Amino acid sequence: MSERSKAVVARKVSKHYGEGNTYVRALGETDFELLSGEVIALLGPSGSGKSTLLTILGLINEPDGGDLEIGGQVVIRDGEFVGNTNRVRRRELGFVFQRSNLIPFLTAEENVRLVLELDGVGQRIARQRSREMLETLGVGDRGAHYPVELSGGQQQRVAIARALIHEPALVLADEPTASLDKERGRQVMELFRSAARERGAGVLVVTHDHRSLDLVDRTLEIEDGFLIAEGIAQKPQGGSGE
Amino acid sequence: MNLALRDIRHDLSRFTLTAVGLGLLLTVVLAMTGIYNGIIVDATALPASLQADLWVVQRDTRGPFAELSRLPADLEDRALAVPGVARARSYVAHTIQRELPDGRPLRFTAVGLAWPVDKGESIPLIEGRPLDQAHYEVIVDESLGLQLGERIRLARDMYTVVGVTKGILASAGDAVAFFTRADAQSIQYDQSSEAIRLDREARTQRIRESWLGNDPEFVRFAETATGLIPAIAPAPVSAVMINVAPGASIEMVKQRLATWKDISVYSQEDQNELILGGIVEKTRKQIGLFRALLVVISTILMSLIIYTMTVDKLHSIALLKLLGAKQTVILGMILQEALLLGAIAYTIAIVVGRYAFERFPRRVILENEHLIMLALLVLAISSIASAIGMKKALAADPNEVLAG
Repeated sequence: MSERSKAVVARKVSKHYGEGNTYVRALGETDFELLSGEVIALLGPSGSGKSTLLTILGLINEPDGGDLEIGGQVVIRDGEFVGNTNRVRRRELGFVFQRSNLIPFLTAEENVRLVLELDGVGQRIARQRSREMLETLGVGDRGAHYPVELSGGQQQRVAIARALIHEPALVLADEPTASLDKERGRQVMELFRSAARERGAGVLVVTHDHRSLDLVDRTLEIEDGFLIAEGIAQKPQGGSGE
Repeated sequence: MNLALRDIRHDLSRFTLTAVGLGLLLTVVLAMTGIYNGIIVDATALPASLQADLWVVQRDTRGPFAELSRLPADLEDRALAVPGVARARSYVAHTIQRELPDGRPLRFTAVGLAWPVDKGESIPLIEGRPLDQAHYEVIVDESLGLQLGERIRLARDMYTVVGVTKGILASAGDAVAFFTRADAQSIQYDQSSEAIRLDREARTQRIRESWLGNDPEFVRFAETATGLIPAIAPAPVSAVMINVAPGASIEMVKQRLATWKDISVYSQEDQNELILGGIVEKTRKQIGLFRALLVVISTILMSLIIYTMTVDKLHSIALLKLLGAKQTVILGMILQEALLLGAIAYTIAIVVGRYAFERFPRRVILENEHLIMLALLVLAISSIASAIGMKKALAADPNEVLAG
């Protein structure tokens, strides 16, 4: 595993909100690594700092201090964004949410294609690649449909297609299976695992759902802003032993 | 991928209805501009068609268009005696509202031409000919809806339409009909037989009761037709139009006439200024204020629409930011939607106006410069409207997406 490149390297990343009486430590100094092709589940109760870590890794909020590399590129140094964060988000990050968060006025295929076109990929190539991605995720026949015309599971697959289409270094997934039944939840987690393996993306899944933890490589537990435990995920019965 | 077009496509009916509403509002703005232009052209069309160099009117009045003016008819002859005057024509005009036998309303301004000096040769005709006889012929504007050769009864006589003009209207927007002066006054002063009889009896009675009644000759005169009484006829005129002789100075003739104590003299330019400054000025201000109000309403409406459209997709905008979309992509989407809305509304205004304005009771005149002005106005409105939406979009926070 150590020979693989690192999708994320976080060093002493910390964050607090408020001052004086309202001071809240959201994230203590945190060191954290995620390898390319690895799927990590981040576990923890509400208010433990999961979302804070996610927004820092997603380059939405600046931390108070610390350094962050994504895909070998320094994006935060001493708590400040370095370079064009928009471009890093376009190229190196993919997002999946609890609700699919597809753009309602775009069709499924356009939602996926958008990510490529935002980064300057030509329309023809972007269309072809997004169709292939939707085919791969089993929703190729739903490309012309608007999000409201898709089931929850189909929407989530389209969202995953959007997160993976540009082959990002890091995919951040926030409770991606929370609104799905067990079977569909497992399907989604399997998609993440295969995407990580086949496309070399590091996947960080924030979840409360313990039903599919056997499909991740590692688990991290966070409490009161600190990573308190790291574990190897349970292997599925009769699994490949990956 | 054009996000603006896709957003519009997704809710096309709302966008279309909004564009239609805004377009109709712009149609009213356009109509106001056109009506104002029409008022100016209408107000000056009649004096322009009569092609007078100078207008002689009652002393200290601004007649005959901006104010009532009364002059003795013989002033025509006095004016002709002034060196440099080639032609003097009396001008009489009054508004008539009647009904045709088929029930159509017939409202027009009757203008009397000084037959035989003026047969209406200077009036621009689109059909027919000038007047050819001293009575019972009329030249009408096409807006009156009468056909060449059509005969209409006015007062006690039948008149035949012998010529048709286009766009010769009075300042109030009524069509103008040209008669000989005698006919115009005959129509103006027409009374029923009973009214004439009562008037004559009243006049005779007044004479009898005064010291004049001691003379039977006066009483006999009072009992005759009004037109035959030398002290009463002829009826006054509104103005006398002067044309100076070739080579003569208009200014010099004007100065000579201005020495007369019973009249005022205006050049054609003076007359236009009096008309525009008097009759049109208040209308201009009123229409100008109305137009300004409509522009403000359009801007507010459009701002509200663009703002609402932006608020409706704030979550999508936050998501776009999270996906790394450049600010220009997001702001461009809002600006494009506003511009497209403005452009469609503008087109609707032009198209609706083209068909609707012809049916307006008053003339609506629009030149290319007015259409360009409206286009620039719509561009400004769209930009202002989009600025409010853009401000909202800039404040959209990608955290909202993660917060669900």
